[in-house]
Amino acid sequence: MPWSKFDSTYSAPLTGRQISYCAALREGLDQAMGLDPRVFAIGLDADDKFGVFGSMSNLTHPERVLGTPISENAMTGVALGAALSGLRPVHVHLRVDFMLVAMDQIVNYVAKWEDMFDRQVRVPMVIRGIVGRGWGCGAQHSQTLHGWFAQIPGLKVVTPSTPYDAKGLLLASIADDSPVVFLEHRWLYKNMGDVPAEIYTLPLGKAHRLHQGDRLTVVANSLAAMHALTAIEQHGLDVDLIDPRTIKPLDIDTIVDSVRHTGRLLVVDYDFPFGGFASEVVAQVTERAFTSLRLPPQRLGFPDRGMPSSGVLERAYYQTPERLAAVMQRMIAGESVHADHQALVVPS
Amino acid sequence: MPRNKTIQRDAAMWLLRTMRTIRQTSERIAALYPTNVMETPVHLCIGQEAVAAGVCRHLTDADKLFLGHRTHGPALAKGLPLRSLMAELYGRTTGCSHGYGGSMHLLDLAHGLPGSSAIVGGSIALGVGAGLAAKMTAQNFLGVSWFGDAATNAGVFYESLNFATLQKLPVLFVCEDNGYSNVMPRAAHSAHDIQSLAAQFMPACTVDGTDVLAVYAAAQDAVDAIRTGGGPQFLHCRTKRWMKHQGHERCDLPENAVDVARDCPIHKLEAFLRDSGLASAAELVALARQIEGSIDDAIRFAESSPFPSPHLVEV
Repeated sequence: MPWSKFDSTYSAPLTGRQISYCAALREGLDQAMGLDPRVFAIGLDADDKFGVFGSMSNLTHPERVLGTPISENAMTGVALGAALSGLRPVHVHLRVDFMLVAMDQIVNYVAKWEDMFDRQVRVPMVIRGIVGRGWGCGAQHSQTLHGWFAQIPGLKVVTPSTPYDAKGLLLASIADDSPVVFLEHRWLYKNMGDVPAEIYTLPLGKAHRLHQGDRLTVVANSLAAMHALTAIEQHGLDVDLIDPRTIKPLDIDTIVDSVRHTGRLLVVDYDFPFGGFASEVVAQVTERAFTSLRLPPQRLGFPDRGMPSSGVLERAYYQTPERLAAVMQRMIAGESVHADHQALVVPS
Repeated sequence: MPRNKTIQRDAAMWLLRTMRTIRQTSERIAALYPTNVMETPVHLCIGQEAVAAGVCRHLTDADKLFLGHRTHGPALAKGLPLRSLMAELYGRTTGCSHGYGGSMHLLDLAHGLPGSSAIVGGSIALGVGAGLAAKMTAQNFLGVSWFGDAATNAGVFYESLNFATLQKLPVLFVCEDNGYSNVMPRAAHSAHDIQSLAAQFMPACTVDGTDVLAVYAAAQDAVDAIRTGGGPQFLHCRTKRWMKHQGHERCDLPENAVDVARDCPIHKLEAFLRDSGLASAAELVALARQIEGSIDDAIRFAESSPFPSPHLVEV
């Protein structure tokens, strides 16, 4: 087993080598395929020169990259069948929204297969989905849905925010013997960061503190984590910013410890609000640290309706670092901010 | 069918033993089912045994078979031990899925049974995935996708045939066509002809799925063609479901009435064995009795096996 030599607690030292989030993903996949001949990539346009926004360009083993027809449901079953026959597929989707065509396979099959047979078989399979946003992409090309996938037992859900995490978490996901839904944000693809050249994995289920602070705990993942960091740095806010990195398993201990210290919680979750990731974090923190809370915990994310297209509407729909900063400042000042989620629902 | 006459005695007796095991096990399950000792939905395949036996005779343990919800027949024919099946139906730890699967989710890795699914259609794609793995790793096992006529109405069926053909994968598609989608007859549920539809993608043949020697011969040709690198093959077996979709009761649809001489694969094979002198009447009686003994043993095994600990799934 080529993966067993990687210690999940090992932190690859930073070397000052700067590459993009996209290049980090490409490097992680390329190194996984080089390390383990059982790893292969499959998906719509996976083998196109366009290279899935560059994240799969010029891979060393093109013979293990397979383009597919637009048949996401069957192709997910094909990947599962291959995983049950000794391979380690990475199934890539240009948009998270396209994964919904395969929900029978993802929820009824991939997520359930280990449980149905008491883990006598394992399903080492990664499903990559790329989150879009903006430029009028609209309601069917902009969904994130990490909270929705995390609701299903049997799926791990990974949402890297930095190039370092993108590579280490992708390698860890491929190394994992169970299904992982790996959601990348297209808006992070050009971000540069320190990424070691060596092969390394990061533990699934371990949060990362992006900023240290005392007055407010902010939990944010993926693009939201970067927006929150921008808000904190630009406004010099005294915020403890925790990026869970994996929605499931969730490192709730790190979050609860932080809330016990700050007494205030804001979850920035770029996803639909009802019953989502932010709701889960607020619920768990309330269950475990109710008496530490000095303000009602808050959630910020998308309105409870599909994404609009016109730029004017998009700019109203999405949160920005400036909006996040404003809410953080009010909460730090002790103001009981209550995001009016109902107001964001389309009037009937 | 000239090949019928040339079948070896060993193969013919294997087919009979397999069909009788499936039949007699199913009859026993049907008899026990009303007593609630098996807390699992059962989809019996009485009348359909020839498909399981005729196809699986040509499969090896390395070939990976993916089944739908009507599992018992093909799973037993592929090699699932009777004790493992019965203990699973009884919800015991010694069941093939340790009590986590039930009748519709059977597993036997040693015999090339990596699992089965209760959502009609989806497991067709898994057999294609096994074929892809065989091709990518240059191994010579087959992926086998096993499904009923109703599954040909699902989009995943079309997607799977298309991809298997594009990639020229070593996959055997077996359509066990019992004429019903739950209670809806084929004429009402499918506007297409199954064989002609499949033939748009790959060599497809239709056989009398109540004639085990016909299934055996057709499956032999299909499997041989796949093993010699010919790409996927489609085997459409028209058979008859004697039971209701689920449970222990006989099908009561008048248009589906059973004529044993015409429809029973066991009756027909036993007549052939006696007429051709391959087996004596006494031998056939002894075989049936021996199988009853194995079923008794499997039930005793299941009844005496422990239940899983409930704390394993408690919050």
